[in-house]
Amino acid sequence: MPKVKLATSWLDACAGCEMSLLDVDEFIIDLAQAVEFTRSPITDIKEFPEVDVGLITGAIGTTEQEEEAKELRAKCKILLVLGDCACFGGVPSMRNAFPKEAVLRRAYIECESVKDGKIPFSREIPAILDKAVPVNAVVKVDCFVPGCPPRASDIKYALSELLKGRIPVLPSDMMRFD
Amino acid sequence: MSEKKEITLTINGKQVKGKEGDTVLDVCRANEIYVPTLCFLEGLSNVGACRLCVVEIEGERRINPACTYPARDGLVVKTHTPNLEKYRRLILELMFTERNHFCFFCAASGDCELQALAYRYQMDHARYPYTFPSLPTDTLNEFMVIDHNRCILCGRCVRVCSEIVGNHTLDFGRRGWRTLVVADLNQPLGQSSCISCGACLQACPTGAIFSKVSAYRGRTSEGKVIRSLCSLCGVGCEIDVLVKDNNIVRIDGANLTQLKGQLCDKGRFKQVFNETPRVTTPLIRNKKGDLEPAPWDEAWKLVADKINDYKGRYGANSIAGFASSLCPNETLEAFAKLMRNAVGTSYIDTLDGSSFRVIAKGIDASSQNGKGLAIESSLDVILDADCVLVVGSNPLESHPVAGCYILRARARHKANLIVIDSRPNTFGFRADIHLRPNDGSDDTLFGVLGGLIAKKTKGTEKTMRFASLAKATQTTGLDKDAIRQAAAMLSNAKKLVVIYGDGILNKNPKTVARLLDLAKLASKDGLKVISLKPKGNSRGAWELGIANTNGMAKAKPRLVYVLISDDAFEMGDWVAQADQAEFLVVQASYRSPLTDCADVVFPSPIWAERSGEYISLDGKVGHSQKVLEPPSGVKDDSEVLNKLAKRLK
Repeated sequence: MPKVKLATSWLDACAGCEMSLLDVDEFIIDLAQAVEFTRSPITDIKEFPEVDVGLITGAIGTTEQEEEAKELRAKCKILLVLGDCACFGGVPSMRNAFPKEAVLRRAYIECESVKDGKIPFSREIPAILDKAVPVNAVVKVDCFVPGCPPRASDIKYALSELLKGRIPVLPSDMMRFD
Repeated sequence: MSEKKEITLTINGKQVKGKEGDTVLDVCRANEIYVPTLCFLEGLSNVGACRLCVVEIEGERRINPACTYPARDGLVVKTHTPNLEKYRRLILELMFTERNHFCFFCAASGDCELQALAYRYQMDHARYPYTFPSLPTDTLNEFMVIDHNRCILCGRCVRVCSEIVGNHTLDFGRRGWRTLVVADLNQPLGQSSCISCGACLQACPTGAIFSKVSAYRGRTSEGKVIRSLCSLCGVGCEIDVLVKDNNIVRIDGANLTQLKGQLCDKGRFKQVFNETPRVTTPLIRNKKGDLEPAPWDEAWKLVADKINDYKGRYGANSIAGFASSLCPNETLEAFAKLMRNAVGTSYIDTLDGSSFRVIAKGIDASSQNGKGLAIESSLDVILDADCVLVVGSNPLESHPVAGCYILRARARHKANLIVIDSRPNTFGFRADIHLRPNDGSDDTLFGVLGGLIAKKTKGTEKTMRFASLAKATQTTGLDKDAIRQAAAMLSNAKKLVVIYGDGILNKNPKTVARLLDLAKLASKDGLKVISLKPKGNSRGAWELGIANTNGMAKAKPRLVYVLISDDAFEMGDWVAQADQAEFLVVQASYRSPLTDCADVVFPSPIWAERSGEYISLDGKVGHSQKVLEPPSGVKDDSEVLNKLAKRLK
């Protein structure tokens, strides 16, 4: 059986979901036998190839992240999103209660640890969006695994189901939003 | 009441029974058919705010909320169809996108009804754009935070505040999707008429109202809930204590919307933790004059030797014992056994003994002719009253749940309220008539009220000494019309309840006697009087005969034994008096000015660390459960007293 090709994208999020993925323990061996990791934090491949499964962690908070999500969506057959940020907006969306100018000012100028700060501006740096939004606000998502972070067992369940050809929906007793 | 007619409905293809007057939801719940709800709370009125309980009813064009749809004979109902489940999930998604329902930084996560329903409906994402509102968070209340961003506008807090607490501080402000729960005229909760009872907090299905003392300290699933009894004030509220790792996380009313399910700020929040330093080992005053930890045997021996010595030299009456009425009956019995049998002194009293003497002598001197505390009514009668006379008390401060019964009677059937207190009393602001007679003129006021009522009812039997209106206005300093109005209100009352408290409990028994006479004169359907006793087990202690009938004025004890336990007794002059004793033994949970002047201190468990029987102020027996293990070194009070008794000659 040919290996399932998987590409991952780490957007507006901490590394919690990735840590949880590594937490699946020995299942990672089964996974490595069944799945070919293309672009991912452990392979250092920069471009998305055409893949079977795209996996996104994190919300979408900048123009670059928006573009990346769209690109992966175009190149994958099934898009799986992992974690509260990707499913609902999560921690990055806490800034949404304020205008983005106020958020930048707070972070780069008013923050207690900053001295003579200024808001960085360059064409090289992606601009932040007005609001950090869940992935399904930008592209169509096929399957969601919420949790902050999702527990290893949730990730294992979702990936196993995908490998068996089914679109997983976490059962009620597994689902956690925190 | 006649038995309600039985009706038969078909729910999900099954024939089930209900009663006339039930809603469809009532019938479902009675027959254990699950229907998801959020705004429904048993005991409150139904408003159909959340729409999660929607059901399909044959013959109806639309789906209808089960909580507001009256059940009738022959109704055919479906509770779980794909169409209904689709709508329920839609409603949940709309709720989640409307405000901030991100669980990972919410105090209610794990104990949240909204979250639980989202899990149940496998809501792993929302299909609608989030609004990300920036609503205020109200943190000014001492114990509670209202985070409007987490509110789903179910209105449970609003209904519990008006229907159960009777205070109606909370209501909805603004309109449409901008609606907010507001206190009074949109004041911060901490500056409103809120009495911080926390009923809204317990009723809240989400994290919109959360407790500052319990937030983030543990979830229900991580600890153990133990049913116990709040022993603070004698109302005798049942509490559910959530304990995790030998710490109290949260205290809830056992049945929030039932009688005595509501709690007060003291019972719900202040008891959660007390940071006063504890006494965890016996302490003995050493030669340098400092209190020094000592082994139990040494402390017992020292106290026993001293008692034997004083008894031998000056007689048993040179020893006096005082016990706090916060202790359960078992402890008090052990105390009485030690003092009466082992020591043999006749000087034994409770710390609130003076209140007992005023009430007991007052009842004896009144026209009731000595039936003791048995003449008093149950607190429940307040809920049916059409007029409540409160004398010398602010029940919302001393016995808040009893105070709320008055508010509830006013909210539900417009009961009248008269407050008489010579001291400043904020409860008067809530009254129809607030009389503030000059200090010491209560007797005259009761006399003139009695006279005016007797004139109206043309009663021939003269059961009390009346006072003339002209003289009374002079002594009491009150307006003639105000007195007349009060008398009219009292004589029009059909179900009068008279409540009196600390304001006259430290006065002359005659005042209580005159008040009881007035109550008897004004009551048409039997006397309903309640005295608000100072402590949680005052009635228990008094019925056990611990309180001294004759008072302790004659006692000039050389050795004083005080069982104060965890009582936050206002010591004041009392400490100086106790300090005059040659030898002072204190059995206490916390360090205090009293333990500081003691010669020997025995540790004592706090309320949460003991089980016991309490008698509420209206004579009902309740049991508290031990919910915490005491610190090592703290022994049960009865054991300390019994072991001491065994060492006496």
